[in-house]
Amino acid sequence: MASRKIASVKKTVRKAAKAVRKQAVSARNKVAAVRAKVPARSRPAAPKAASSAAATGALKLPPLHESTTSTGLRVIAAERGPLPLVSVRLVMRAGGVWDPPGKDGLADFTARLLRRGTKRMDADGISEAVEFVGASLYAGVNEDVLSVYLTTPAEHFSAMLDVLGQVVREPTFPEQEVVDARERALAQFANDLDDPSAIADRAFTRALWGDHPYGRDLGGIKRTVSTFTRDDVVRFHTERMGPRVSMLTVVGAIPPETVAAEAERAFAGWTGGPDTPPELPRKQEPMAKAGQVLLIDKPDQTQSQVRLGGPGFWLGHEDYFPATAMNIALGGGFTSRLMNEIRVNRGLTYGVSSYFDTMSAGGVFALSTFTKTASTREIIDVALKEIHGVRDGGLKARELKDAQSYLAGLYPLRTETNESVASVIADIRMHGLGDDWVEKFRDRLRAVTPKDVARVAKKYAFADRPVIVVLGKASEVKPLLEGLGPITVVPASEYE
Amino acid sequence: MPKASPRSAARAVDPILHALFDVHEATLPNGLKVRLLANHQAPVVSLYTFFQVGSRNERPGITGISHLFEHMMFNGAKKYGPKMFDKTLESNGGRSNAYTSNDMTVYYDDFSADALETVLDLESDRMRSLRISDQTLTSEREVVKEERRVRVDNEIPGMMDEELGTLVYKAHAYRWPVIGWMADIENITREDCQQYFRTYYAPNNAVLYIVGDIDPKKTLALVRRYYGDIPRGPTPAPVLNAEPEQKGERRAVVRHPAQSPSVMIGFRGPAASDEDTLVLDVVQYVLTKGEGSRLVKSLVYDQKAVVSVSLDWSWRIDPGTVLFYLELKPDSDPAKVEGLLYAELEKLAREGVTDKELQKAKNNLRADHLRELSTNSGRGHALGHYEALLGDWREGLSLPTFYASVTPEQVKAVAAKYFAPERRSVVTLQPEAGAIEPGDDADA
Repeated sequence: MASRKIASVKKTVRKAAKAVRKQAVSARNKVAAVRAKVPARSRPAAPKAASSAAATGALKLPPLHESTTSTGLRVIAAERGPLPLVSVRLVMRAGGVWDPPGKDGLADFTARLLRRGTKRMDADGISEAVEFVGASLYAGVNEDVLSVYLTTPAEHFSAMLDVLGQVVREPTFPEQEVVDARERALAQFANDLDDPSAIADRAFTRALWGDHPYGRDLGGIKRTVSTFTRDDVVRFHTERMGPRVSMLTVVGAIPPETVAAEAERAFAGWTGGPDTPPELPRKQEPMAKAGQVLLIDKPDQTQSQVRLGGPGFWLGHEDYFPATAMNIALGGGFTSRLMNEIRVNRGLTYGVSSYFDTMSAGGVFALSTFTKTASTREIIDVALKEIHGVRDGGLKARELKDAQSYLAGLYPLRTETNESVASVIADIRMHGLGDDWVEKFRDRLRAVTPKDVARVAKKYAFADRPVIVVLGKASEVKPLLEGLGPITVVPASEYE
Repeated sequence: MPKASPRSAARAVDPILHALFDVHEATLPNGLKVRLLANHQAPVVSLYTFFQVGSRNERPGITGISHLFEHMMFNGAKKYGPKMFDKTLESNGGRSNAYTSNDMTVYYDDFSADALETVLDLESDRMRSLRISDQTLTSEREVVKEERRVRVDNEIPGMMDEELGTLVYKAHAYRWPVIGWMADIENITREDCQQYFRTYYAPNNAVLYIVGDIDPKKTLALVRRYYGDIPRGPTPAPVLNAEPEQKGERRAVVRHPAQSPSVMIGFRGPAASDEDTLVLDVVQYVLTKGEGSRLVKSLVYDQKAVVSVSLDWSWRIDPGTVLFYLELKPDSDPAKVEGLLYAELEKLAREGVTDKELQKAKNNLRADHLRELSTNSGRGHALGHYEALLGDWREGLSLPTFYASVTPEQVKAVAAKYFAPERRSVVTLQPEAGAIEPGDDADA
């Protein structure tokens, strides 16, 4: 399913993991430990094996009511109870790939500044209005889109949608707020250098994509963010954000007629942005640093962070279902080949997973894990062996069937909350997945054959040599990596 | 410490929660408590098993055993041997995980509704007849050591938190980390694990919560069938709280390579069952919930003194810790920032909150509470959490009413009491220049 790799969400997750005392240790938490930074992409999706009336029973989204405001904003409403809450998502085709040259991180920076002042309210006024009623409002970007999220008690829907309209239509970006935000971002970049997995992810993205827009750090880097001015932000807002590249999704305890009427009011007079949604040319070819090893030196580490990656595919690609089934068996669940060999049999790590990260114009197939310094080479060798095993031999029929049943059984969880329903609707409409996506998902997954899997495995399970990124204590790790490819050692400070 | 009952405030059950929580309850003859809650919105079910055991029940020498043991619960029992728990569950459309805290160990499964009976078979098998082999213990111990490395040894807040625990608690088992000391993880034996299983994993020390697309009556019959023959165990020994009174501020320094200093501060708080705990929930929201909250607005936006400020107030069976974490900038002076935080806390104790601030906190507590209950998993967890910490899941249903009744005077009194300097412990991270090349000793 669609990847929701949102910079601010990533950061929040990291911060939560950092700041809050670990009083609960989740043992098997490969999900939190490794996946937290991996897009929530494949929330288990799929149908139930044979029998089960329940699981084969129809799974449908609530009816979608579509309207368009007079300014050209598409609105989709879905009424859903029983809790008196509403979830809203405004998605704009103004993600990180549309950062101007040399201004990496501007989309994200602009998104965060939206709520720091409008023509009618200052930052404190906005916070007070939203937070007083128990609503929440935040904005963030992924590679493709800039999203503003609002959740609110249903009784305050109209007032809150009005605030959302204001921050999107008429933010003022006060000079002092821009200066302060820039300083906070730079301080955060410095502190991020102490977060081994965050730096490994940053380096990995760059090594995979090189100069391609997907290679930029969504939040920017010290060199680019330190140049941000109010003019940059104002220009990004005017040129990139507008009703004709946007879609508003509203899910919760609110009638569709109310949604349409309130959207008209909240977004009246909204202009700006491109006339049609911008598109990035699709790409599916070897990654920038294929066959190379990038070693990031952080001498205080007792553990190495390891990332391996190669080409994947874009959102809505025909390989989605066979590739998803393959990945579950290879590195998805607790019984996957990678988990079994690396964690269960060898005790090399606490968390290992493989995943497809899919974006509108391309994607990645990757693996993420960590292990004590001394076993860095072993974990890479074992991971490559397992991935190549699937590439060369596909999956056994039984393995595929188990993977299909796993995803199928859990797929309904994908539609459990207002937030997840809003998100799936946005993905369906933004990426042309078809309104029957949810309803047909389990059947399509079930239709995947071992032959289909063998075909996609040859293509994605590292047909070419992967990009290898390791973060750890270079003096000890480097000799272990000999023979994997040309090694480049860089200090962690490169990634501030 | 005088313990006011949460019931003292004439708490009525919240009507929305009342409608949501039509819970069927039973206790099996072997002491297993069962709570069932139907929700037919989607063909999925969440099952939680709460065992009343955590690091609180450990002793020096085997710290971390609750957590290591939790891992072992996935490594094979009599009917479903090694690897079969996950294999059976996943191939039937389910997934599972677990967590260990200071007070409890919690296992959960999300699964397709038609897998219910399979899941009960799996779960009851491991409660009845877990098998611990030397081989799986050896391998799992390495997994846990990697977990410790990733959470504590290579993570600055993890290191600081561990240091803080030993400052705040001198006698109580909350002193050591849930994951355990590295040498203790190495030291735990198979016999220790078996002893642990017999003592704490009997049905009379557990509560089962099943929420989702179920028929409660039929489900209860299935639970009786699968769990009924598991023998009752001994009643675990109560944990003694021998923690002496704190007589003044306590401080420690952690030196480690880092870009910026940071500060972690713990104030000794009340036990979960103490009514002050709920008032502190309100205080937490006033101080750090949202961009407009007092500390975020003051320290992050107005004074620009910190990159982030967070407050964690987690309910515990015995008196817990109100914990603040301040992430500073590279050139910040930690002493100065500490002073800014204390000034805000003193102001709260001296002047209290405005009516509007208080109402805002209450509105947010309610909205968050409802959001937490929007999934089967959220409902199951909430039931277990309230039952484990407040003694009865019903207490959770009247929380909104209690929060609504909190007055500015209560907030003031609680802030004055718990944010007193003699209740605090402070850990400061002093950045040490990172060794550049080989021979550094920073990874000790």
